[in-house]
Amino acid sequence: MSAPVPLLAQAAAVLRREIAVERAGREALVTTAPFVAAFVVLAGLAFGPAPQQLAVAAGGTTWLAVLVATVPLARTVAGTERAEDSWDLLRGLVAPGALFAGKLLATWGALLLTAALAGGLVAVLFDVPVLPQAIYGGVLGTLALAALTTGFGVLVATGSRRRGLMAALLLPAGLPALLAGTQLSTPGVAVLPWALLVTVYATAVLVAAWAVFPVLLEE
Amino acid sequence: MRTHPSRTADRLLVVAAAGTGLAAAVLALLVAPTDAVQGQPQRLMYVHVPAAWLAYLCFAVVLLASIAYLLRRDLRWDRVAQAAAELGVGMTALAIALGSVWGRPVWGVWWVWDPRLVTTAVLLLVYLGHLSVRGLGDDRAAGARRAAAVGIIGFVNVPIVHFSVVWWRTLHQPASVLSPDPAPMDPRMAAALGVAVLAFTLAGALVVRRRLRVLAALDADHHPFPAPPVAAEPLVVLPRSRP
Repeated sequence: MSAPVPLLAQAAAVLRREIAVERAGREALVTTAPFVAAFVVLAGLAFGPAPQQLAVAAGGTTWLAVLVATVPLARTVAGTERAEDSWDLLRGLVAPGALFAGKLLATWGALLLTAALAGGLVAVLFDVPVLPQAIYGGVLGTLALAALTTGFGVLVATGSRRRGLMAALLLPAGLPALLAGTQLSTPGVAVLPWALLVTVYATAVLVAAWAVFPVLLEE
Repeated sequence: MRTHPSRTADRLLVVAAAGTGLAAAVLALLVAPTDAVQGQPQRLMYVHVPAAWLAYLCFAVVLLASIAYLLRRDLRWDRVAQAAAELGVGMTALAIALGSVWGRPVWGVWWVWDPRLVTTAVLLLVYLGHLSVRGLGDDRAAGARRAAAVGIIGFVNVPIVHFSVVWWRTLHQPASVLSPDPAPMDPRMAAALGVAVLAFTLAGALVVRRRLRVLAALDADHHPFPAPPVAAEPLVVLPRSRP
């Protein structure tokens, strides 16, 4: 009789599987990269062309792109398993905590790449500097959004109807990340309150999503 | 004939809510002085603040009932969460609408992009989502689980809404009562506000109790007791007549 697989090993296996699926299909990349590029270019046209206006709108453009990108990403959280009819098998084999951790890390990676792409494009096209506090906000803000996306993504996987509801759930719930991330990306704004906000928010969302994730698997 | 205890409680709540509501109206409209700066529009605060208070209270009830449902898996807790969320959404919408009506003469605009206003509007959207996920499938228990999950995650935004005024004060005035450094207030204004908050709380409790009865009846309709088996018709075999 084989020994039970530790949770960390299960989570790592789920993450490896997510990376393999992404490398094979490029689903998250194809879903978000063209969207982010189009979003930033169109935002520059909408908010510009004056450099002062672009500088003011830069942080908001980056974070709005990241926040909106969570909606299509949520559909990829359990999308492959649903397409292959293997969702029930996966949740039967893997402990809920490990499944959450693996899916969360994969989604976080996708969102970090999205934020880096959006932030890089904004920095180049809007001619604004990348602040150290913006990187801190980017790391924690995307972690919070990844926790929300993972939780609500599973909710989408189990409820096939009303997928449009995902935008209504994700976008408002991600507001603190948008606010704090935008302010941390803006030069001359007090760092401490916003850094505190994004830290508290990420912690609270992570704990709440981890706590309710097993419940969402009971379908 | 004895009255059912819950009906008696309802009647007491009706009397208490009506009495405190009447007292609040008298205090707010006749006793409390007119605000020296804001004028008559300030009296809207005697409804705006209690509505916001009741909304916060309802969302706290949603959180507790959602946790209780996930722990006990008793649909009664889910009905509490649903009834509280419905009332909370209504009160949030009322608070936003009254704040907008007040803001026009006082601030000169219907709406400002103040963090508290925006986050309150977002809170409304979060709890509308909480109510909407119930309809994602036909399974009543699954809908309750999803709603409980959204109710818990959504509550993360509630303290952020409140403390946004303290952290990111811009145009919206800071909390007058629940703040570390409360603003000075005329005692008659404070009395009117306190009685109005009590009236809204009592009326809210009454609304939730009534709604719970309706939701329980709906659940009973959807999940009726199994019907007794229909008696089989006697099988009569008639001899076939041969031509």
